[in-house]
Amino acid sequence: MTDGPLIVQSDKTLLLEVDHPSAAEARKAIAPFAELERSPEHIHTYRLTPLGLWNARAAGHDAEQVVDALLTWSRYAVPHALLVDVAETMGRYGRLRLEKHPVHGLVLASTDRPVLEEVLRAKKVAGMVGARIDDDTVAVHPSERGNLKQALLKLGWPAEDFAGYVDGEAHAIDLAEDGWSLRPYQREAAESFWDGGSGVVVLPCGAGKTIVGAASMAHARATTLILVTNTVSARQWKDELVARTSLTADEIGEYSGAVKEIRPVTIATYQVLTTRRKGVYPHLELLDARDWGLIVYDEVHLLPAPIFRMTADLQARRRLGLTATLVREDGREGEVFSLIGPKRYDAPWKDIEAQGWIAPADCVEVRVTLPDGERLAYATSDPDTRYRLASCTHAKIDVVRDLVRQHADQPTLVIGQYIDQLDEVAEMLDAPVIKGETPVKERQRLFNAFRSGEIGLLVVSKVANFSIDLPSAEVAIQVSGSFGSRQEEAQRLGRLLRPKSEGRSAHFYTIVSRDTVDAEFAQNRQRFLAEQGYAYRIVDAGDLQAEA
Amino acid sequence: MLDALLVAGQTTSAELISIVRADEDRTAAALQRLLDLALVWEAPGGLRALTGVADAMRGMPGLVSGLRPSSPEPPDPEEVAARIAELSPAATALLHHVADHGGEGTTGAARRTVSPAEARTPAEELISRRLLVPREGDAVVLPGEVGLALRGGRTTTEPVDDVPALATAARDPALVARSAAGAAFDVVRRVELLLDHWGVRPPGVLRSGGLAVRDLKAVAAALHVDEPGAALVVELALSAGLVAEAAVADGTPSWLPTDEFDVWSGRPISERWARLVGGWLASSRVPSLVGSRDAAGKAWNALAPELSSGLAEEARRLALEVLAEVPEGEVLAVGTGVASVVQRIGWLRPRRPTVFSDLVAAALGEAAVLGVSGAGGLPPSGRRVAAGDLPGAAEAIDPHLPRPVDRVLLQADLTAVAPGPLETEVARRLHLLADVESRGGATVYRFTSGSLRRGFDAGWSAVEVRDFLTSVSQTPVPQPLEFLVDDVARTFGSVRVGHAEAFLRSDDEAALAALVHDPRARTLGLRLLAPTVAIATSPLDVLLPRLRELGAAPVVEAADGTVRVSRPDLHRASTRRGRRPAGAVEARQAAQVQAVATAIRAGDRARSSRPAAVEVTHPSAALAALREAIEAGSTVVIGYVDSHGATGERVVDPRRLDGGRLSAYDHRSDDVREFAVHRITAVRPA
Repeated sequence: MTDGPLIVQSDKTLLLEVDHPSAAEARKAIAPFAELERSPEHIHTYRLTPLGLWNARAAGHDAEQVVDALLTWSRYAVPHALLVDVAETMGRYGRLRLEKHPVHGLVLASTDRPVLEEVLRAKKVAGMVGARIDDDTVAVHPSERGNLKQALLKLGWPAEDFAGYVDGEAHAIDLAEDGWSLRPYQREAAESFWDGGSGVVVLPCGAGKTIVGAASMAHARATTLILVTNTVSARQWKDELVARTSLTADEIGEYSGAVKEIRPVTIATYQVLTTRRKGVYPHLELLDARDWGLIVYDEVHLLPAPIFRMTADLQARRRLGLTATLVREDGREGEVFSLIGPKRYDAPWKDIEAQGWIAPADCVEVRVTLPDGERLAYATSDPDTRYRLASCTHAKIDVVRDLVRQHADQPTLVIGQYIDQLDEVAEMLDAPVIKGETPVKERQRLFNAFRSGEIGLLVVSKVANFSIDLPSAEVAIQVSGSFGSRQEEAQRLGRLLRPKSEGRSAHFYTIVSRDTVDAEFAQNRQRFLAEQGYAYRIVDAGDLQAEA
Repeated sequence: MLDALLVAGQTTSAELISIVRADEDRTAAALQRLLDLALVWEAPGGLRALTGVADAMRGMPGLVSGLRPSSPEPPDPEEVAARIAELSPAATALLHHVADHGGEGTTGAARRTVSPAEARTPAEELISRRLLVPREGDAVVLPGEVGLALRGGRTTTEPVDDVPALATAARDPALVARSAAGAAFDVVRRVELLLDHWGVRPPGVLRSGGLAVRDLKAVAAALHVDEPGAALVVELALSAGLVAEAAVADGTPSWLPTDEFDVWSGRPISERWARLVGGWLASSRVPSLVGSRDAAGKAWNALAPELSSGLAEEARRLALEVLAEVPEGEVLAVGTGVASVVQRIGWLRPRRPTVFSDLVAAALGEAAVLGVSGAGGLPPSGRRVAAGDLPGAAEAIDPHLPRPVDRVLLQADLTAVAPGPLETEVARRLHLLADVESRGGATVYRFTSGSLRRGFDAGWSAVEVRDFLTSVSQTPVPQPLEFLVDDVARTFGSVRVGHAEAFLRSDDEAALAALVHDPRARTLGLRLLAPTVAIATSPLDVLLPRLRELGAAPVVEAADGTVRVSRPDLHRASTRRGRRPAGAVEARQAAQVQAVATAIRAGDRARSSRPAAVEVTHPSAALAALREAIEAGSTVVIGYVDSHGATGERVVDPRRLDGGRLSAYDHRSDDVREFAVHRITAVRPA
């Protein structure tokens, strides 16, 4: 028994005692291979997963280092079986390599013949490989590079991709660091990505993922295709790139439902790429429209499945994924790993916050009690309408009014799921509302007004969840969410986590109906917040009014 | 040595020493020891082994060298060598093959009596030169002297006095001690966890006496180990006497923790570990066989009574002894280490059956799991175990085991983390209030409304829960947890359920209170639930007269709240028809005519309605149709097979359906009749 800060559990979780004097060192040692699962105030939980270990392997760590880190920092003896498992899992990565062969082109090579035999016998792989070149090498159809990697990952033998990338059409892009400069972690993220070739950079919302994208483009100095979630965020990317790089507005094209421009740097939405007409994707040719040197995927965790399939065909190009979380609600983390690449950079939110780049947030859950009439209605309603009933109680609206009054001088967002409720809130507060049917132009006008401070209060539906930069928001009031999605919680909090003037802290209120499914879902979401290290408080709506 | 003597038969000591491939002095010493033990004696013609010895050694395992005894009058070694030299290459190859494979073979078609000149096949060549000696059937054996000649005049090709070296590697002794302690802690924890599980949900005992594969899989999943690992934990619990077969409440024989387990789980970890090790050392169980198949192809179940071997104990002891020879600071080399131990023990005990080496390898694996060895070496605690000093071993391992903690860290995500093994009392209570999420050196508990409710169910109050949490937490209790406790406490017991025979309600609160407090009503078990409601534990037929005696005038409510008039039911039987006094012939005839007319009319009605309605013939559909008719009070036509087997149709008004009988008003007989439901072939509306 030593006095280390780490406890290794036999179910492959690692518990890190945060207040331990050597916790920081231990964290540094295990961060490359263990995935931070939750980080509440005292003990952070990391998990060893095959993907995590392979990510580490891809970043150049070997099993010896992992075992050594575990043994060095562990307080108690490390379960032997776990060490064996780590070594075995890590040993699986890179037994197979995708390489460029001078004669045969793309080949799958292995130094471990039985492994090669095993995977070649697998049905899934059968159609993807060509002739056997020698005992250890087999030709691969270049078109199957991505599919093969995916299939191999599923078989548990992820291949390392050494086949290199095409340079793409050169295009001069430089960062224009006038009056601002890359933050250290942004530089680090861009460099780790570039050294790794392809992969994903994980940074919290508000930590400047766009800048990391710009920095990577400056590394690549080639034509770039940027895929984003929606038109508003496409415009934001454009503005940001014009401001931060040597690119001019004319060099940047937008490829969306409304405009279809192809320029050296083209920003396309997921939606337009996945539009299907008569069973074909008419805009797919965009991917081959130019000889792209870099493809940037914004919000990788939202990447729709058809884009995955398209990405499988783009393996020869450098790919950068940007995201706040690798957790996908659909569990397709493995596809991100094999098709876009391993995680290249990750920084826990709390750390970045401590560095002062994102505003600390004060998370409060406000509990309202349903009036008796609604409670009865709730109790007798169908299970599928219960959530709506509980979320949309009128009691919430009073609380919203109180909260808005409390934070009268601070820019405030009211976020919700149900349009009726939002309309009602908007009417009561006399504030503009942004919902699905609001035209893009109007949306942008409102967002701009909010950013500039003309409007101090905005009611938004879930269209605002993603990639709309509202750095000035200081207060968010969530009146309803979509069934406790963790991802949504991250996004909503992200709205607030942009650096604030005068170091003021942000407030994140969630209004929840007591004793209903709403409260149950809220517990899920809040668990996520607590796991992310945000202390959250619970107050009663009555107490809140008393406070005010 | 003895082996060589048996090969040579009767010989001189000098010759004997010469054929053993070993240092001469040591061979002589070994021979002297055999003479001292009187296993060998000096017969007039030379040294001989005792007759019994030869028989004993020619048993199943065979001789170590794999050679047969020499022929009674062996030719000179030179002559043998000369004969071998004459052989064709094919025959030489055959000879070596036979020599390497136990000195026995079959010749097939080879002739037995041939001269060297006539020999056509390699086998015949060998037989003709008496390099192979024919035996019964077509078997041939290689005489000892030929074997000796092939091996350069020695009984073995390898020296026999070279102790097989152990493959070792240097390793920090501290690491050895730590990993052993880690394993020791793990195994104790697993056994405890296993028996905690089994105490609540004991698995059944198979008829053959073992543990079902399904139960073993469940254990493996619960303990986060693979199945062989689970089998070992289960077997360890058995050999330490912590689990035994007993019948549970419903009489099924099950595997249950013994009462020893309760004593055991109260002891410090080191002592618990020593007990497991002690049980393991002395046990004849062979957990490593679980899951493998026996000769009949049947898989062995864990805990099966046959799963033991007389050699297991010796294998463990030897394995530890050999392991103890590895000096401190060194451990068995990864990969080759275990094999070298097996080899060494094979040399030390050459005459054990081949399974013995499997047992030794298994024993080494088990020692690692048990934490007797760590990282392939013996820590001080393991050395004491090897020396048989279990209390000393417990003492030696104790400083390396995690200290029990009595505090946990409560966090805002509603988890509690115990950064070490919790003291039993705290663990037990926490276990009640929270679910375990992750186990190991530390334990992670999660509070949920369900887990807290479990605590309340067990009689805790919100204040007690909060006090307990405050007392065990190193940090302030996070606010969300307090809210959760309050939330659960608020909803807990807000609806109460109880048992009562009858209820009393009254708008006159005073009257009800007076009744409840009346001493004469004490036997009725009245209890006031609300000012206007009381319950009684006496049934209605006791309650009613008593209440009347007490001067109340109760009214009985039916289940739907309507008032039931209390009037005794008047019993009446229906007047029997058809029993007319004898002699009333006219009357009977008239009745018959009437009956015929009724029947015809009923038949007409049956016919007239037949084509329009849907006939139901499926039994369950027929029942449904009958019930419908009862509900609606409508008339239906049923197809009916009477007790003579004749089918007919009846027009009836069904009244009641139960016990497989339909009672219905039969239009034909103008009476209520009972019909057996199974005889109704069809139902359709009339």
